Order: sequence, then C-alpha cells, then structure tokens
Amino acid sequence: MNEVSEHIARMLADVRQGWIPPGIYSDQSVFEEERRRLFSRTWQFLAHDSEIPNKGDYVVRNVLDDSFIVARGDDGQIRAFLNVCRHRAGQVCRNESGNTKRFLCPYHAWSYKTDGSLAGVPYHEEAYGGDAQLRKEDYSLYAPPHTAMFNGLIFVNLDPDAAPLPDYLGEYAKYLAFYFPAGPRRVEVRGPQRWRFGANWKIPAENFSGDTYHTPHTHASTGVIKLVSNAATTNRKAGINFAAGGGAGSTFRLEAGTLVERMRSLGYPDDHIERFTASLAPELRTMIEKDGVIPSASTMFPNFSLLHLWARIDDDGQIAPFTTIRLWRPISPTETEISAWWVGDSDASDEFKEKSFKAYVMCFGTSGMFEQDDMDAWSTLTRMTQGYMSGSIHLHARMGLRGDGSEMREPLENFSGPGIGHLGFNEFNQRRWLRFWAEHLEMDVPAPPVRLASPPLSQAAE
Amino acid sequence: MPSTVATMERTLPFDHPMHLAAHRFLVEEAYVQDRREFDTWLEMLAPDVSYRVPVTSTFGANPHKQGEMDHLSEDLYSLRMRVARLKTNLAWTESPPSRTRHMITNVCCYRTEKPDEIRVLSAFLVFRTQGDYQGPDLLAGMRDDILRQCGEDMRLARRVVSLDESVLKTQNLAIFL
Repeated sequence: MNEVSEHIARMLADVRQGWIPPGIYSDQSVFEEERRRLFSRTWQFLAHDSEIPNKGDYVVRNVLDDSFIVARGDDGQIRAFLNVCRHRAGQVCRNESGNTKRFLCPYHAWSYKTDGSLAGVPYHEEAYGGDAQLRKEDYSLYAPPHTAMFNGLIFVNLDPDAAPLPDYLGEYAKYLAFYFPAGPRRVEVRGPQRWRFGANWKIPAENFSGDTYHTPHTHASTGVIKLVSNAATTNRKAGINFAAGGGAGSTFRLEAGTLVERMRSLGYPDDHIERFTASLAPELRTMIEKDGVIPSASTMFPNFSLLHLWARIDDDGQIAPFTTIRLWRPISPTETEISAWWVGDSDASDEFKEKSFKAYVMCFGTSGMFEQDDMDAWSTLTRMTQGYMSGSIHLHARMGLRGDGSEMREPLENFSGPGIGHLGFNEFNQRRWLRFWAEHLEMDVPAPPVRLASPPLSQAAE
Repeated sequence: MPSTVATMERTLPFDHPMHLAAHRFLVEEAYVQDRREFDTWLEMLAPDVSYRVPVTSTFGANPHKQGEMDHLSEDLYSLRMRVARLKTNLAWTESPPSRTRHMITNVCCYRTEKPDEIRVLSAFLVFRTQGDYQGPDLLAGMRDDILRQCGEDMRLARRVVSLDESVLKTQNLAIFL
C-alpha cells in the first residue's frame, strides 16, 4: 500500500519530462496522496512571532484540516498544539486569535493552560478517581512532532522522523533571511487577509518559484497605469532566477548604482537601508551590488511564498516598497485558501510603514491590482482542465529545454547568490518545484504524528 | 479629518431631509456602481476621501475584530488608479466584467459636529457573477459613511466597510463595495 497507483506514477513520469497532466490539478486521488505523503512530512508555516507578542496571546492556524493553536505561554515561550480536546475532540479554541489564560472545551469543560497542559477536569475526583487514574500531566493538548522557528517564522512538521528545518532549507535559508533577517533588522507582520478561490494550490506555489514570464502580459495593466516601473513588468527577462536548497525564486534587475542608491531607488529610507545592509548575508549583498538584481518572489517548498516589490503610491511619483507572505492552503484539489500578510520593518517610522502598507494593498492581497489577475488566471486554468477531453491533454512546462530534454541554458557561472542562477525567462525553477513534488509523492507514507503504541505511563502500568 | 459621533445617539427621523438626501445618494451610488460608471462614481467622492475595507476576524469574544489589516485602504489617488486599470482593457480578471448588484438597506443617519457632514450607516448585500462561469459570490456587511454636503450635491468623505466574513469566498475584490 506504500506505492502510488499506476495512474499517478504515469503522471509523475510526465511531470518529470516537463509535461503536466492537468489531472494533478483536479484529481481527488492525487490530492489524497499529497495529504498522505507531502503535507504529512513537509515544514508548514503557522505564524510569525510578532502576531503573538504578549503572554497569553494566541492565533489559530490550519495545516490542511488540522487546527493548531499557536500561543505564547506564561513563561514567554511560543508553542503550537493541536486544537482538539483530549477527551472527546472538542475544539478548545474557536476564535481566530486573542489573549487568554485558559482554553476551555465547550463540550465537557476540560480546560488547558496557554502552554497546552491540562488545567481542569470537572469532577476529577468523583468521576475519574483523581490523579491516580487520570494524571492531568499526561493529557496535555497534543504537540505536533516538530515545531521550529526561523527568525520569527513558526513552522511545524507532522512527520516524527522529519529532518530538522535548517537541513530542509539548506542554502535557501539565506534568501529567506533576506525577507526575515536574524537581526539587527527586525520585522513585524499585519494580517492575514484570507480568501478562497477555485484553483489548485500547486499553481500559485509553482508560479512564485520563478514565473517571471507571466508578468509582462498578466500584469500589463499595472505598467500602463504606471503603478510600477518597467523593471517590475516588461523588463523581467533581465532578472536572474535563483534555486537553492528547499526553495527558489526570481529577482528584479536594478538600475546602475551603489547598494545605497539602488535601495533608495526602491523607496527605502536611509535608516532602513542601514539596518537592511547590516542584516544581509554577504552573498545577497554581492548579488545586489555586483549582479545588480534583488529578490522578488520566491517559494519555500511546498506552499509558503514571499514577494518583494515596490510601487508608485501618489501623483508625485513617490515609490514605496513592501514584502508580503503567501500561504497556499488546499481546501480540495480545486479550491485554495490564501492567507496573506504584509511584512514591515519594526524599527521603521510609522510614516514609512503606512507608505509601504499602501503600496502593498494597491498591488497584492485580496484587492491588489497585480494579484487580482493572478487569481483569475489560476482559477481559469483549474476550471478549463476538468473536462473529459481537456483532462487528457498535456500542458507545456518545457521552457528552456531542447527536444532531447537537455537544458538550453547552463546556470550562470559567476552568480553571486547562494545556489544556482539562471538569467532570463526559463521554467527551470518550476520544473524543479514539480520534481520535488513528484519525489514526495513517491516517498513512503511517514509514521503517524501521534504514536498510539506508547500510551501515557499511568495507563501502561495498569 | 471627517467628524464622528457617538453611536448610541438616536437616528435622524426617516423623513428628515438629510436622511432622504443620504438615502438618495446611496441608491444612486448603487446604480452607478452596478452600471460600472466608475468615472461618475469617482465624482461622487470628496477629494480627501478615505475608503477602507478592514479585515474582519474573531478576537477572543469579539466576532468583529478589525485590526490593522485591510482588504482595501484607499484614498482618491489609489481609487483613481483602480478605475484607470479597469479601463486599460488589460485587467483580465474583469474581462468580461463582473455583473454586480449592490443591495443597500437598513439606512440610518446621525448628525455630526460639522453642520455639512452626516454619518450614515447602512447594510449591504452584493451579488457578483461573471459570464456563465463565475459565482454567484455574495458579500454582506455594513458601511459606516460620512457624507458631506458640497453645494447641491453630497460627496462621500469617508467609508469603512465592515464585512461579515473573515474568509472571503470571492476570488478577488476587483469590484467596489
């Protein structure tokens, strides 16, 4: 039972040749395998620590259909635990966020502290015989097998045998630190905006990993109204796509100038540039200074994406930059829930934060003038390939490949960034993402997150 | 900045001339929006208009928490840009354009400290479809508006749209609420 069906195996073989069978976007059996083999073992984003700054603060977040509470306990520590009562699976927290001392199950009133430990059981003595029979310390809310933090980003992994997050990230960690530095620059998030639309989750994840080819046309309107400069739309082929470790992404070509001049041209104030430069990995600094490109969109495999862009925010032509997070959570093969956060520099002036936020809302998110058209392209693609005939075709993902499957372009020899870089339009990164995806679907189903073979000691002793 | 009033104050009588003028504004605006006459709609806005659609979510016991995150957070410049984009014929998501129906009801008005400004609350239900493939999508919520008398006409000086859903079920907000 540990091998995928022949039907899926054929799809994976096609994907590896750069031909996408549209069934991967709508087939229920593919989705079931993704649940069992991919989401069960990959690092999944839950929250940013700036969302829960105070003791007792919490947010509730999903990994597929699993609900998790992410809370800051009385000791100031951040923990994640399954939002499911140990007694009869009541949802112990039904709010999206808040501040509390206790999570109370609405069914039989078992209550839990903000560190996940069981605080109260009604009639503990009379009904259960007290701690001798039901030791409260054995009935904390279940913690996911692994929780890990990367510069404020909180991830979980449901595979007990998962490799540690730094191993999973590899060299991509340096790009992730471009958006979320270890310091001295500190960041904070606002959000999320949440909405659902009729597309398969893989389409946006793959797009953010390197689809610069769609920008000049899909987002042509933003250039016409001068919301952004040419670098961000028509000149995207001048950028370098990077691929490193567990992630990949694209860059924008910058005008000539020093690092400071280049950052200023994107609308960054000098105090920000100072913190930014002090927080930058040396390779990223060289990439901006020498190669003349700066990260734009990227995806950490499988479904966590980031974007960095700048836009004109008033009639005087003032430019403001922004960074944003995308989490692509599948609801079904053909529906995705998006959570989108704005990412700001904590030490920036309120004035700059508002400018950056304005640029974000104009460009991305629910109403963003870029993202509106992405949503439409991705839901249309998903809908158009659900037919009997259209479901039998192959989609072309071979840009940059010759007929014999060899690469037309070698990676850049002198790329300064971590990992490898490709200049210009290419679907190398998307194929890499799809290859990761195919590899995961061929992996064994991991051990379950909770091992019932090891019951709490008090009962094992009986 | 537009003025505000205490919410517990009694509404203006429903036959008060200011209530009638505000109601008329909202109904005319709804038709303008549904006919997609966005240039006319821009003319109905004050030059210093503030137009926000904050994200709604449940925070503790409060089911209508509105924090710092917005779906839309607009001034006249950004609204003009959105309208200009729709007119480029390159705004693919609105090609073909959405059919919308703005239904506005439960209108009540309050005086403000400024004699030329009135605060207007209303409930709305927006029905959205596209072609024969998209929707129907529904968006429900309330508006909290400040309308300003400008000569013969009223202008929208401030709008805060409170949506009733925390997770929107429409693929984007390429339409105006």
